[in-house]
Amino acid sequence: MTTLRLSFDRIRKQLAIIAKHPYFGFVVFGAILVVLRLLALGGIIPNSLMKSLVITMIYAIVALGFSLLLGYAGLASLGTAGFVGLGTYFIGHFSGTLGYPFLATILISLLGAIVLGAIVGFISLRIEGMYLAIITLGLSEIMREIFKSFTAFTNGVNGLGFRDFTLFELEVSEAAVDFIVIFVFILLIIGTLNIIKSPTGRALLAMKNSDSAAQSMGIGLMKYRLLAFTLATIYAVIGGLLYMMDQQFSIPTTWSLDFSLNILAAVVVGGAQSITGIILGTFTIFGLNMTVLKEIAFFREYPDATWIVSGMLIILITMFYPGGLIRLLLAIKFWLIKIWKKLKRKWSVYRYGEDD
Amino acid sequence: MIEKLLYVTLAAVGIYYLVDLAVLSRVKKRAVYRAKLLNLLMLLSVLAGFAFAIKEMTLYLFLQIVLLNIVEMCVLVLATTGIVLIFKTSVTTNFAQGTVATVGAFAAAKLIIYLTANTAMPMSTKLILALVFSAVVTFLIGLFIDTVIFRNSRYSNPVGKQMITMGIVLVLFGLMPVLFGLLPLTIEAFSYFPYEIQLPNFPYPLILPAQNLIALLITVGMLVFLFAALRFTKWGLGVRATASNETVAGMMGVNTKLITALSWGIAGAFGGVAAFLFAPVGSSVTVSFMTPVQVNAFLASILGGFSSFGGPLVGAVLINLFSSIASFLNSVWTNVIVYVLVLLLVLVKPLGLFGKKTAKKV
Repeated sequence: MTTLRLSFDRIRKQLAIIAKHPYFGFVVFGAILVVLRLLALGGIIPNSLMKSLVITMIYAIVALGFSLLLGYAGLASLGTAGFVGLGTYFIGHFSGTLGYPFLATILISLLGAIVLGAIVGFISLRIEGMYLAIITLGLSEIMREIFKSFTAFTNGVNGLGFRDFTLFELEVSEAAVDFIVIFVFILLIIGTLNIIKSPTGRALLAMKNSDSAAQSMGIGLMKYRLLAFTLATIYAVIGGLLYMMDQQFSIPTTWSLDFSLNILAAVVVGGAQSITGIILGTFTIFGLNMTVLKEIAFFREYPDATWIVSGMLIILITMFYPGGLIRLLLAIKFWLIKIWKKLKRKWSVYRYGEDD
Repeated sequence: MIEKLLYVTLAAVGIYYLVDLAVLSRVKKRAVYRAKLLNLLMLLSVLAGFAFAIKEMTLYLFLQIVLLNIVEMCVLVLATTGIVLIFKTSVTTNFAQGTVATVGAFAAAKLIIYLTANTAMPMSTKLILALVFSAVVTFLIGLFIDTVIFRNSRYSNPVGKQMITMGIVLVLFGLMPVLFGLLPLTIEAFSYFPYEIQLPNFPYPLILPAQNLIALLITVGMLVFLFAALRFTKWGLGVRATASNETVAGMMGVNTKLITALSWGIAGAFGGVAAFLFAPVGSSVTVSFMTPVQVNAFLASILGGFSSFGGPLVGAVLINLFSSIASFLNSVWTNVIVYVLVLLLVLVKPLGLFGKKTAKKV
């Protein structure tokens, strides 16, 4: 009997240690997503809900990359849409039109992302602050023009379709794509966590707070700016690849300024410096539109009116909670703890009388 | 054409490094002379580029394209002025400039529909009324943005303010279909009459649409009014004081709040007029019909440099000339050529053509 109890205690201690691991929450989150997807396969959850969840996850991947730029390196960029669009056309052209093997496509995409990120990084060494945001906006517009006019690569304004996707000579079904998205999502969350907690992440943060101070501590601006932009571009291109697998269609009008602004909104609303915050923000900006607001009659009549909600959220949160929703949640948590303590004290006074 | 430009650029770069190494390394104030040399070489190469382009497309065609593009130029100049005015007083790049302007154009189009249905005014009166209405509506929106949103945002840093303007863009994008319906509207031109100008030595007369002339007159009038106000009125003095240092201006008794609010309003009105003029050219008023103008206006401000009022205007005119020439060279890749050119120019001079370096406190 006692041995059993001891082993129970040991298991509980082990579990407590595991639960404290920084990955734990995200792995559980991934497991929940997988379970949800399985439930959708069984027909318990509507398929449309699952579809919006998956696309929101893809946006969250892009937002994670963007948060490395904005939240950690302090570089404002509005070129996200162009990079995501590029990812979709990479897989659409190389895997779809030309029929290259999937691994080759991934290699090409990553190489393209690295080269592009390095170019933007070099530009960022010379142009700073608000000027950089506008220049990256110009870059994104250049890429959109290329998507429109370079028809051999992108099929122009008609959009590029991508069907019958094979991975290692196996036909990949829609459900499998969803599992791939969940897997990559969790993997990239863990990757981001590692980057943030590493010396690289701290160097980026130092650079954000003060260029000069960071340089005087031996942090090379060039290396870390290039790194930040390359990472963000890689995340965006991966987001694009997954987007194409999921939606099977890409058209230049999607990759306009609105898309970049929405990603920015997601990062700002959630809280640019916390992974939980970014996931929260993405689900608020994109998920809310696709699941909750769709059901309201007013928004069904005017589908674009959902932007009012996200716009108001951005304005209010920047005005009153610059730390994002995650700060708001923390504030509410502390407030609840305070109330709980007060109630506890009152209860003990009532139960046992005033302390002398 | 393209290879000639390439040779010019290479020659300029070569001259720059040669002079820098051979002559300037022995002079005392090397950095100052270097900057001057860079400016001179850039000016020369841009002029050379224009000369080549004009030779390639003949002076007649160049003038004709410029005359036909006057409306776009006016719209760009007006939009850029609005953005610079707000940057000067609020230290933020206003992403909502184009969207606020779009609301003005929608309101004007709705007013025209209302007047046509209920009164028997001639078209020109309706259009003038609509123009004023557009300006008033956008003026009020600008005032509202500053007094209600910007004045109450406690934690305002430049990036935060940028976010707020992006939020305003999204809100207005959502509101417009609700307020004005889902269908695109149209605003007619003041006149469709083309003037013909016969210059000596030209084979054909140049064509100048009357609408372009009217747009030019409106724009020049507004700009003269604005610059005169900036130069001679108390408000203008206040704007310049606020632009140089808001806190100190406030201490010296300048009502910075009023001045900022008025600047937002005036910038909004400029946008409203710009959208009204752009609507006949851009075929119809839709939610995002001002977005290309907005992007170009930003690039123009960057090209000219935010530090002066005149620089961005020159930038706007330059961008318009670039796109006129580029549209002749290759109609598909026009925008790409213009953007890449601007990008290269800005990479050479990161603070813009007329930008001044500000000392940074560490």
